[in-house]
Amino acid sequence: MRLTDEEYRALEEIVGSENISRDPVVMESYNQVWGNKLVFGQKHTTPPAAVLCPGGVQEITAVVKLCNQHGILFKALASGFEWVATVLERERGILLDLRRMDRIIEIDEKNMFAVVEPFVSCHKLQLEANKLGLYIGKPGVGYSGNVIAVACCHQEMTISQIYTSGYGRNVLGCEWVLPTGEILNLGNSGREGGWFSADGPGFSLRGILRGRAGANGGHGVLTKASVKLYPYYGEVPGLKRHPGEPPSAAQLEGVPEHYRAFVFTFPTMDKMLRASAEIGRAELACVLAPGYIATGFTGEGNDEEWAMMRETTPEEMERARNSVPVTINGHSARELEYRERAVLSIMEKWDGYLDAGLNHPDVQARRFQYQFWSTGVPAVRATGDFMVSIQGADGSPEMQMRHRPVEIEAFGPFAESGAILQNTAGVVYRPQEHYSLGCSGGVGTSFDPWDPASLEAAREYQDRMYDPAGPFRRFGYTNRGAMMQIESIHHIHERWGPIYDGCDYWLRRVKAMLDPNNVADWSAYIPAEYAGEAEDGA
Amino acid sequence: MAWEDFEHDMQRCTRCSYCKWIPWRFMESTDFMQGCPSIARYNFHAYSAGGRYNISYSLMQNRLEIDDSFLDVVYKCLMDGSCDVACKMQQDLEPLQHMQDLRIKCVEEGQVPLEHVPIIRSLRKEDNMVEGFRSERGEWADGLDVKRVAETPAEVLFHAGCRYSYDRELWPVARAGVDLLRRAGVDVGIMGHAEVCCAGRAYELGYVGEMVKFAQSHAENLRSRGVKAIVTPCADCYASFKVLYDKIGMKLAIPIFHIAEYLEGLIAEGALQPRKAPGMRVTYHDPCHLGRLAEPWIHWNGKEVKPPNAQIWLHDPPKKYRRGTGGVYDTPRNIIRSLPGVDFVEMYRIREYAWCCGAGGGVSETYPDFALWTGAERLREAQAVGAEAVVSACPWCKRNLTDAAAEAGYDIQVLDIIELLQEACGGDASGNRHAVNGREDRR
Repeated sequence: MRLTDEEYRALEEIVGSENISRDPVVMESYNQVWGNKLVFGQKHTTPPAAVLCPGGVQEITAVVKLCNQHGILFKALASGFEWVATVLERERGILLDLRRMDRIIEIDEKNMFAVVEPFVSCHKLQLEANKLGLYIGKPGVGYSGNVIAVACCHQEMTISQIYTSGYGRNVLGCEWVLPTGEILNLGNSGREGGWFSADGPGFSLRGILRGRAGANGGHGVLTKASVKLYPYYGEVPGLKRHPGEPPSAAQLEGVPEHYRAFVFTFPTMDKMLRASAEIGRAELACVLAPGYIATGFTGEGNDEEWAMMRETTPEEMERARNSVPVTINGHSARELEYRERAVLSIMEKWDGYLDAGLNHPDVQARRFQYQFWSTGVPAVRATGDFMVSIQGADGSPEMQMRHRPVEIEAFGPFAESGAILQNTAGVVYRPQEHYSLGCSGGVGTSFDPWDPASLEAAREYQDRMYDPAGPFRRFGYTNRGAMMQIESIHHIHERWGPIYDGCDYWLRRVKAMLDPNNVADWSAYIPAEYAGEAEDGA
Repeated sequence: MAWEDFEHDMQRCTRCSYCKWIPWRFMESTDFMQGCPSIARYNFHAYSAGGRYNISYSLMQNRLEIDDSFLDVVYKCLMDGSCDVACKMQQDLEPLQHMQDLRIKCVEEGQVPLEHVPIIRSLRKEDNMVEGFRSERGEWADGLDVKRVAETPAEVLFHAGCRYSYDRELWPVARAGVDLLRRAGVDVGIMGHAEVCCAGRAYELGYVGEMVKFAQSHAENLRSRGVKAIVTPCADCYASFKVLYDKIGMKLAIPIFHIAEYLEGLIAEGALQPRKAPGMRVTYHDPCHLGRLAEPWIHWNGKEVKPPNAQIWLHDPPKKYRRGTGGVYDTPRNIIRSLPGVDFVEMYRIREYAWCCGAGGGVSETYPDFALWTGAERLREAQAVGAEAVVSACPWCKRNLTDAAAEAGYDIQVLDIIELLQEACGGDASGNRHAVNGREDRR
């Protein structure tokens, strides 16, 4: 059953007639996202029964309470740029499009944090923070990603997270509309102490908020959050282009004054990873991304991109696999000089060298721009869809040395068959917090969901990644699944939870506790009960 | 291409929403990041290029039919191409061309907004898009000492366009344009009552047949008159003659100039010598049809292919995309910067990623409140950079921005570049009143 007229009118009274729609034409623009074809076999999923654009927390709490009263499923989204962002588990469900809530409420320069509403994009905050010498970090999802979505709702990551940390670690306070419609303030969140403290006394509720690797709407709506900021030395870089060049050709003229960018190349992967770990743990770098050599090098379009790929020799690919981009910064010339000497000495210790081509000043300027001021996710261009393989929670070089061959072996047959295009030099890693917390790694791949053979291969590869008895078991419960999975189809939690101390049981207990009426959409998270399961969870 | 040919585009749109914004790397102000007026005004995703790909795909899949709601989404688009520039920073898609062909499909199926009916009737019966009488078309030039090419040959044809021909408040600008050309010694003439519409706006509404008809008419007329070049002060006409006629395979045989291009040349030659201009801070608004939509058409006849053993969509032959780069951006800026006493300041959204004035795509005729809202948003930006005047180079921009200023209460002058240059060249030599001296003189 869709919404009754009475239910619709009640929702309309809350947000106003301009901010709600159940027009089938509008609904058909909220049921088509890129991951649908991979997961469901078609681009369309069931359209929502209504879409609302609420203007603030009061409206959202009223809507959520009404959903509880009438048993209406709800899910909030911001940019919606996610594999399965608009999917609803039931047709009697509504979407909350949060685009009207786009204010940066505060940037606390001294304490280095910002308080934002959910539709503030990472780039918007970046621009304002930069005026104060602060920085949020470049999201992997691109700058349309919204701060709260990447920090509180997903397991978003960035190649600067050795410096800025993974976004989930940066959440301080939150204003959280629970699935019941009650408001829970995490941290001090606007009380006497302001938004500074991550949590108040007691258990850390940030972990509850986020679920395992992003609750993806399953835990209600975040209407406000404060996130940490980090130093950025210098101004927003002005980009130059030559007359007649397209906008995508605009580039920095050089690496900014307070930064140095390098690519270190090593004779073996082992040495590259060990040097990377040493640089990370010495807290010297602001970007450290083993294998992430191709970042920023994309043609204007596929034709140009393909021409560039064809020009790359096997020797260059091999060099790239054993290279690591390292960018350092410093608030003074002396600090920068110290860091430069230190990273170069580590490079030398592990027999590394500076390849002239990879370290050309123009190339470094371009790479820096993408490392800090990314402007897109070109991986989606090749075919309109891509996926990133598994990631591990353990960031040790030893893990990476074990992980890389397994990943390459598992992926290799798909690449060789031509069913999936590997558009990176190999497995790339994004270490977190000085290599102390873990390291996300994987293969960036393009597949064509409209090509039956490619779609089949992508699903097979995905099944292999998600299989707890498969080759990735030793590297842990896949975080990627949280972005690409529909639990009722992929059963990631159901399959992996039991081998991780039954953590899925506790995830479901938390879900049931937060959402007693089962109205916060769990399609990309976890249901309180698995299908066909007895109420006691047995 | 036809609408059906965009199925692959519809499938590949990822919902990245880049179409809603100006390109990220060119954002400077968090107040002025949005690029698409339609999504900025109406909020629901359907009112973006990505959303329109979605509903188009649903139409193709027979999940939707063309009804009033569908038309509302399709025609609350300014066809300004901002989405196209932003999308192509990341994707190999053609969102603007998709919209064009979706509108053509709507027209072919007889599904159009009611507001378009009298406009198209006016075009078919009276040869203009503003519901004026054909017999009154040339009145804007009454008393102006200029050749009528129907009677006296001239090297350069000054094509005024429908807006300048029928909008009495704008007549002084068109007259000033002729005055500047004549003052510089250009052998210029006008068609007067015999001038007809370029039909570019009709094409943007989806009436491709009308544009074919008018393109043929223009081609024959130019041949018979022996004209060597067209100069137009209207950006819409300029883009039609230069780009759209070429697109439909009816490229005109003579050079097409926007008047700004021609005037820049005259200044360089010394034929015009701007000496003093009003001492004020001005900004420049890029008309979409002089900017990104004026980029020459790139013909490509090929097919999408995949290379052996790889998943990437390529083109055979390789396709060069129109990315807005080839529009006319520097010319008007060069003119403004050359004027003594003018303090030029840029807005935040400029060149390929400029914000539309609100008059494009038939919106000013169909949804005037949306047109004025869009114009007011542009004036807010002009005011944010401290401009006392917004200078543009299109009568549709001047009309809509002027109306938006009045409606929203912005105390800012809206000028055409012709007016600014005429003032700098010593004012009007043809009996017009000056238009650059402040509010009391605005018409």
